[in-house]
Amino acid sequence: MAFPNVRLSNRPLHFIYLCDCSGSMAAQGKMQALNQAIRQSLPGMSEVARQNPEARVLVRALRFADHAAWHLADPTPVEQLQWRDLEAGGITAMGEALELLASVLQSPPMEERALPPVLVLISDGQPTDDFEGGLARLMCLPWAQKAVRLSIAMGHDADLEVLQQFIGPEPAGQRGRSPRRPLQASNATTLAQYIQWASTAVVGAASMPASQVSPASGSPSSSPGANIPLPDLPPTLLDPSDDVGPLVW
Amino acid sequence: MSPAWGVPRVCSVIGAAHRRQAKPCQDASLSRSLTGGDGQTLQLMAVADGHGSSRSWLSQIGSELACAAAEQAVAAALPDTPLADSRAWRQLLQRDLPLAIQRRWQAAIEADWRRRPEGDQQPLQTVTYGCTLGLVLLAPQWWGCTGLGDWDLVGVSAGGEANLLSEEDDDTAAGEATASLCLPQAVALCGQRACLEALATPGLQGLVLSTDGVRKSCASDADFLALCSQVVALEDAGELQRGLEQITSAGSGDDVSVAIARRAPTQGRGSPRRPWRAGLILLTLVGAGLGALSLGQRPATPPAGLDPVVAQEVQRLCADPTHLRANLTPRRAQLLQLLRDPAAAQRMLASPAQDPLGALLAASRQGQLRGCTALEQQLARLWGEARSATQPPNGKMPTPAARSDERPRAGGRPTAAGSR
Repeated sequence: MAFPNVRLSNRPLHFIYLCDCSGSMAAQGKMQALNQAIRQSLPGMSEVARQNPEARVLVRALRFADHAAWHLADPTPVEQLQWRDLEAGGITAMGEALELLASVLQSPPMEERALPPVLVLISDGQPTDDFEGGLARLMCLPWAQKAVRLSIAMGHDADLEVLQQFIGPEPAGQRGRSPRRPLQASNATTLAQYIQWASTAVVGAASMPASQVSPASGSPSSSPGANIPLPDLPPTLLDPSDDVGPLVW
Repeated sequence: MSPAWGVPRVCSVIGAAHRRQAKPCQDASLSRSLTGGDGQTLQLMAVADGHGSSRSWLSQIGSELACAAAEQAVAAALPDTPLADSRAWRQLLQRDLPLAIQRRWQAAIEADWRRRPEGDQQPLQTVTYGCTLGLVLLAPQWWGCTGLGDWDLVGVSAGGEANLLSEEDDDTAAGEATASLCLPQAVALCGQRACLEALATPGLQGLVLSTDGVRKSCASDADFLALCSQVVALEDAGELQRGLEQITSAGSGDDVSVAIARRAPTQGRGSPRRPWRAGLILLTLVGAGLGALSLGQRPATPPAGLDPVVAQEVQRLCADPTHLRANLTPRRAQLLQLLRDPAAAQRMLASPAQDPLGALLAASRQGQLRGCTALEQQLARLWGEARSATQPPNGKMPTPAARSDERPRAGGRPTAAGSR
């Protein structure tokens, strides 16, 4: 008798950008820098996906300004992705963006076997709508709770408290560098480094996660967001708030 | 007396990702035949899965030691506990064996740690060796299991039908996290997974115990169950190993382990369909008017007009209520879909043979179902959970996709949606 022939599948890894496209992003080349950073990160992300065939890296992007909308609606294999530039204009409907995100983090359409998704929120300002409501709607979903949630603050006007709420509370007693705090980018170089890190190192870690001791344990590893151990930040950065290069934003 | 079970076959294969990364296989598996004081044979099979994270950098040793500790603990209990005493074994599986296994495992990892250079410099962190453990015992009169973590246990009937008998609760696990033998509450967690079933269970032909890498490699739970239903008859060890290598290469990339037990053929159990026939005859008699028997639980009496495929599914589930939860819980995503998309129920009911259990859920959504009490209770629980999951944070239900009479009645015995 031969071994049973059943359908096997690698596991989808959904990577979703949530990009602030409010009017302030048009200033000082921030939007241009974001588009450039994402576009430049794609070859590295494709390479990581190629090195981890057990995961199927699928990218989506969501923009929010006056309203939230999908910029890249279909989960797109990273090797097929061609980045279309985002454009700035409007206010900051971040709460609506989280609601829209919540609509796709349910099963279905999320696959039973999917890996914990990676969600990257990038913003330079403060939400102008019901952020709390949107976050509450999102965080009642198991897939959102399991997700690797990262945030990048572009410039010093970004609301770090809101971005921290999106990530979840920082583990107690953690000092110094930590990707569990908003990453502060004050110029295009730093932004590109963070985007590159999220799309390669984090995707690599999320593609083949080692089992963790259950959060039910109350053990140190059970802190929020510890489902996928995050890799170290780029080595040039000693602390998320220590920037490299000139202070532009 | 001929043994009730064949010798279990076990196989662990390194994951494709671990092979690529030059990491060791962190799974372990074990099969043993032990002899009790009464001369009867107790078969044992176990699988363990080391966590493999950077904090659990010796988990490949932890999983080996966990399987060994399980064997030692069972061997120590066997001389004093006759296999015929299923009550004593049930208690052993719930509490005493997990306790003994954890103590033995703890002692073994401490001994291993002391032999290492690091052992002189720093105290042992048990998470360094952290792993899951699934243990199945196979006696002439019963089978039982205990353990903790994200392993799965599937029962295969004589007719080839596979049912999930045990899986880790979502409450215990989250995402890629799982319960572990290194946890202080490990014994209690094992107690939650412990069970003992008499072999009178109709039609049970085999059991398949597997680490999570197997299920996560299958495209769906249906594929996983199909795999288990067929692999139970596989004899060739080489074929099993090659098949598992294919599973990890084309699937999750994780280490994969299976332990397979099959009932030994005995006189009077030659026809694989006989137990089903007996069950069907019993159900027919019940349906013909013997329902007045005081059984404590209302038997399954599907209403007239219910699709025959769905009615048969109701009878199948109600024939063995102990496995209802394991059969229904994996369908939570389908329940959510039914809540959000009422047209989905129509589609499922239009072709019930494609997915009989899905059609049953759709029927229960539409109030067309009347099952046994246990089935109604499980359905009510799952519908309640599904509705809670779709409930917005302000506590208001979404626009009435659900009829008010479909909700479980407050204060009363939970019933299936619209079943009364």
